[in-house]
Amino acid sequence: MNKAVSSFVPGVLATSTAATVSLAAPMGRLSLRARGDLSALDAALGMTLPTRIGQRNAGAICLGPDEWMLHADDIVPIVAACAAIYEGHPHSLTDVSGREITLLIEGPRAAELLTLGCARDIDSIPVGEGRRTVCDGATVILWRDAPDRFRMDVWHSFAPHLLHLFETGCRELAAEAA
Amino acid sequence: MLLIHCPYCDETLPEAEFTYAGEAHIVRPLDPSAQTDEQWETFMFIRRNPKGPHYERWRHLHGCARYFNAVRDTVTDKFLTTYKAGEPRPDLESLK
Amino acid sequence: MTRVPGKGRVDLSQPVEFTFDGKTFRGGKGDTVASALLANGVHLMGRSFKYHRPRGPVAAGSEEPNALIGTRRGPGRYEPNTRATVQEIWQGLQTNSQNKYPSLKFDIGAVNDAAYMMFSAGFYYKTFMWPKNFWHKVYEPFIRAAAGLGVSPTEEDPDTYASRNLHCDVLIVGAGPAGIAAAKAAAGQRVVLVDENAEAGGTLLSEPQAVIDGVPAWDWLASELAALKAAGVKVMTRTTAIAYYHQNMVGLCERLTDHLPTLPADTPRERLWRVRAKQVILAQGALEKPLVFNGNDRPGVMLAGSAQTYLNRYGVLVGKMPVVVTSHDSAWYAAFDLQKAGAKVQAIVDLRGTVRDDLLAEAKLLGIPVKLSHTVTATSGRLRIRSVRVNPTSPGKVGARVEIACDALLMSGGWTPSLHLFSHTQGKLTWDAGRTTFLPAATPEDCVIVGASAGAWGIEAALRAGAAAFGGTAPTVEHDRTGSGVSQVELPTDLNAGRAKAFVDYQNDVTAKDLRLAVREGMSSIEHVKRYTTNGMATDQGKLSNINGLNIAADALNRRQPEVGLTTFRPPYTPTSFGAFAGYHRGTHFEVTRKTQIDSWAAENGAVFEPVGQWRRAWYFPKTGETMDAAVLRECRSVRAGVGIFDASTLGKIEVVGPDATEFMNRMYTNPWAGLKPGRCRYGLLLGEDGYIRDDGVIGRMSQDRFHVTTTTGGAARVLNMMEDYLQTEWPDLNVWLTSVTEQWSTIALNGPHAAKLLAPLVEGVDLTDEAFPHMSCVECTVAGMPARLFRVSFTGEIGFEVNVPAPMGRALWEVLWKAGQQYGITAYGTETMHVLRAEKGYIIVGQDTDGTVTPHDAGMSWAIGAKKPDFVGKRGMARPDLVAKGRKQLVGLLTEDRSRLEEGAQIVFDPDQPIPMKMVGHVTSSYLSDAVGQPIALALVEGGHDRMGQTVHIPMPDRTIAAKITGAVFVDPENARLKL
Ligand SMILES: [Zn+2]
Repeated sequence: MNKAVSSFVPGVLATSTAATVSLAAPMGRLSLRARGDLSALDAALGMTLPTRIGQRNAGAICLGPDEWMLHADDIVPIVAACAAIYEGHPHSLTDVSGREITLLIEGPRAAELLTLGCARDIDSIPVGEGRRTVCDGATVILWRDAPDRFRMDVWHSFAPHLLHLFETGCRELAAEAA
Repeated sequence: MLLIHCPYCDETLPEAEFTYAGEAHIVRPLDPSAQTDEQWETFMFIRRNPKGPHYERWRHLHGCARYFNAVRDTVTDKFLTTYKAGEPRPDLESLK
Repeated sequence: MTRVPGKGRVDLSQPVEFTFDGKTFRGGKGDTVASALLANGVHLMGRSFKYHRPRGPVAAGSEEPNALIGTRRGPGRYEPNTRATVQEIWQGLQTNSQNKYPSLKFDIGAVNDAAYMMFSAGFYYKTFMWPKNFWHKVYEPFIRAAAGLGVSPTEEDPDTYASRNLHCDVLIVGAGPAGIAAAKAAAGQRVVLVDENAEAGGTLLSEPQAVIDGVPAWDWLASELAALKAAGVKVMTRTTAIAYYHQNMVGLCERLTDHLPTLPADTPRERLWRVRAKQVILAQGALEKPLVFNGNDRPGVMLAGSAQTYLNRYGVLVGKMPVVVTSHDSAWYAAFDLQKAGAKVQAIVDLRGTVRDDLLAEAKLLGIPVKLSHTVTATSGRLRIRSVRVNPTSPGKVGARVEIACDALLMSGGWTPSLHLFSHTQGKLTWDAGRTTFLPAATPEDCVIVGASAGAWGIEAALRAGAAAFGGTAPTVEHDRTGSGVSQVELPTDLNAGRAKAFVDYQNDVTAKDLRLAVREGMSSIEHVKRYTTNGMATDQGKLSNINGLNIAADALNRRQPEVGLTTFRPPYTPTSFGAFAGYHRGTHFEVTRKTQIDSWAAENGAVFEPVGQWRRAWYFPKTGETMDAAVLRECRSVRAGVGIFDASTLGKIEVVGPDATEFMNRMYTNPWAGLKPGRCRYGLLLGEDGYIRDDGVIGRMSQDRFHVTTTTGGAARVLNMMEDYLQTEWPDLNVWLTSVTEQWSTIALNGPHAAKLLAPLVEGVDLTDEAFPHMSCVECTVAGMPARLFRVSFTGEIGFEVNVPAPMGRALWEVLWKAGQQYGITAYGTETMHVLRAEKGYIIVGQDTDGTVTPHDAGMSWAIGAKKPDFVGKRGMARPDLVAKGRKQLVGLLTEDRSRLEEGAQIVFDPDQPIPMKMVGHVTSSYLSDAVGQPIALALVEGGHDRMGQTVHIPMPDRTIAAKITGAVFVDPENARLKL
């Protein structure tokens, strides 16, 4: 089970000269919870889990002292590898692929677009890191991939609300520059 | 809106990411059934409500999701410190 | 026209026409409504609030109390109480005066002015107290008709509003000389410089004579602003810092379109900025104090500094033959500027006996008559001042009057630092007795207050203070105007002070006499005086009146001002539209509306929705022409007779995983979990530590260490929060983790005798028989080719299944089931039918049948308590004396004798004949028509209800009293025979 799914159609959702918001292709998502010695998990996952909150590696972001979000094209091998070490190294691995979608937010004023909904200082998120935060009332994970390029993971039912805000914001920011 | 330092994230962030969770250092008895009515009443309902420094709990709900402790002055609304759950209650003198 | 050629910054080569009370006026680009009307010789701009006295602008900025107008830009775009002194004119702007009937020049409400005694201090509390029954019929309608500031718009606002968060190192409020110097010195950091005016410059716009660094003030200003922008400083005009919140968060309201003749696309009218600054510089300048004398509100009476602004910034001469009355040096400069611009100043009347020699010399040089040690005792003129009554004074005496004809009276009682935002920070003030003013002292915020708002006087001092905030140096200033003065209470007079109309608060029509009366009647704190007289309580928040009110109250109390206290300034600094606060949150974006993946099907199939927490849920599915009652009865009948399909996706779902999962569940829920085998599920009841029901739901054990917990729709976040709280802070040793999977799964419930038949052919991996998959089973399997968690549970009393598939597959599965169900007459049902069916079975809805004070025993659910468990959340709480006492309200069923449907929330009594107020012994919690029972059913909490089976209770309603029989809470199939295949 648990193949990547989404009911939204990937593609551009809102765009202007200021910023473009599009929907990422469906992907596998796993919420990983563990503590103590992580070396067994690292070995099973074939990566070193980042341990500072907000830090990322290729497929994982550290969200809390015992919490990671994993993104992967195929989660089946990950689930199997983790299950294999569960007895000796208990943890929680939960499939949340169906829970959320990812918005790609990019463009010259992408960071400012985020300030319409995010109270925290966007500038304090370094490129290559990410943070869980709140955007217009919805909990999101914000990944910063470049100074002007972000990804935002949001639960399905909150996505239309945020998208509406970003549509308005894209137009507003473009009009401001005109 | 307050700024709150999360001791787990080690960042000072807007209050919008946090929720308040009442007075801190109120430990649930290990064996509640052994508690007298008076003891249980104290645990359940009696709070300090001080004017001044207050030991209290917050949760970084929209962040690391951790509960942590804080000392906030209820007069100035300033946080004197925040610290991880389970850490000892800091001495007020050391915060001045 | 009173426009002075060559003066001011208004571009008359770009004429702008607007209307005021239907008449067209012409001004230039850069004019405000007030400056343009004054340029046309119009001083009368409104009527006052209480006495409907004719009023004109007394100021030139946002502190204006009098000149409040309505502004209109086509349908829906009407705003009352706009200050004419800040509203910029644009081609086509329509404005109107307020508080007048039938016209501004002749107003019937002005009869209040004659009835002055009736409206004195505290009249709200005194006049209308008797006779008692007059209040509703006479007084209130009269007051409501006569009172009110402006007229509220009735149409929906078609404009849009925006908001943004902004983080910076330095926020500077006020782009006058102090603010600009601070911004320059702070360059290199993230600096934001804001000003409420259309142009940055502050006092420099009114003082073009100054020469800064050898450059004329306006040239210096232009080059400094250009340099700041080039250095990356964000300069925001038309942006008011409305409030200073905790830890250097400042709210800014930016007005983007109110000055534009045409509205640009995609541009909000206003934007609320939430700025978080590492450091805040307050450089808001000072406000001039009016003088308090009889007739000081007549149109044409104006603050001297404002007259100077109208002249120097707008090129408008507010009078051709003004008189100046002052107790401060600054008004002398106003007299000089007006005289040089062509006015014939009739006199400078100074309360003081001695004045600086250079001022006297300049007055003499300009040929302005000077009257030292003189007072003003009255003014004349109906709609505009015509003359002023001036008397010489000597200690304790007022001499013989002279009448001086004039067309404007310019006054100055000195200057008050603008401490509003500083006051928002809970900043402490100190009283400066020498200057009779409060000055800023300490503030808990990282905030520096500079320039005139800190008591520094003059451009050079302001520049120096601003630069010093960041260790910068300031340029020198020539032709700077510094000065000092003496503070006054009411001006000395030879007239009966009891008859004087000497206004302190123009907007609320509060006079000096009102303040003294309040003190005589026992108000000893300024906060009481304020509320009794309403001084400082108008929309201008006492910007001009608070300090004069304090001085007079202190005088009346014979105490020092700091002992009487200054009233607290509260946000917002100036009136702010609701739109700005709402921002994007209006219409469909008012709040988050969460929809399930199946919501679109419901919408396409005619569902009526209801909000449940943040979710919108299908309530019922009416057929064409069907009432709600009919639709729900039909849906109920179809489920019990055939099969119904229901979207249960909004149920909260929490995945509990780890070696200590069972132990955790044992501690959280009342029920025992150790004996629950993987593949089985159980109803779980969650209490608070107080022993009351908090939530419930079916919990499946998917494997040894993995539970699939469901919660109520509204309780999902709360329950997870509560679980995390215990886990993180009470039991951190438990090896178990919680993950919200509410939105991971779409959940579709199938209920009814045909449910298994419908589902079985679609399921791979389990046989849907009573043996292989009995009631209260759960399994991971495949349904219609989709990965699924299948539960056999029932919230209806019928055979039931809940199919969970990854959320985005929800609609596809729904459609498969819908199609496959046609042969069984499948019926989609909504939350109302779900509620009815569960009530027929006596299943509670937490939050409807419980209200936070209901124990499991009260709810008749003692069976759900694992009595052998040593502890669980709420176990000790349930043993509290009051929770085990007799006579608690307990959940029962009710059947009305007249077979009518009760109202939910209706109160219940035992004896319907007892006198009112009756003893209420409970209330109806749920009430429905019931097809299965054949009459309406209800659930109710009734005192001692479990021991009152068969008794009759009474439900008094407005029109009658309904009798009902207490029954058990289970109305349908108490043996659960229908759950078997
Ligand atoms: Zn945190």
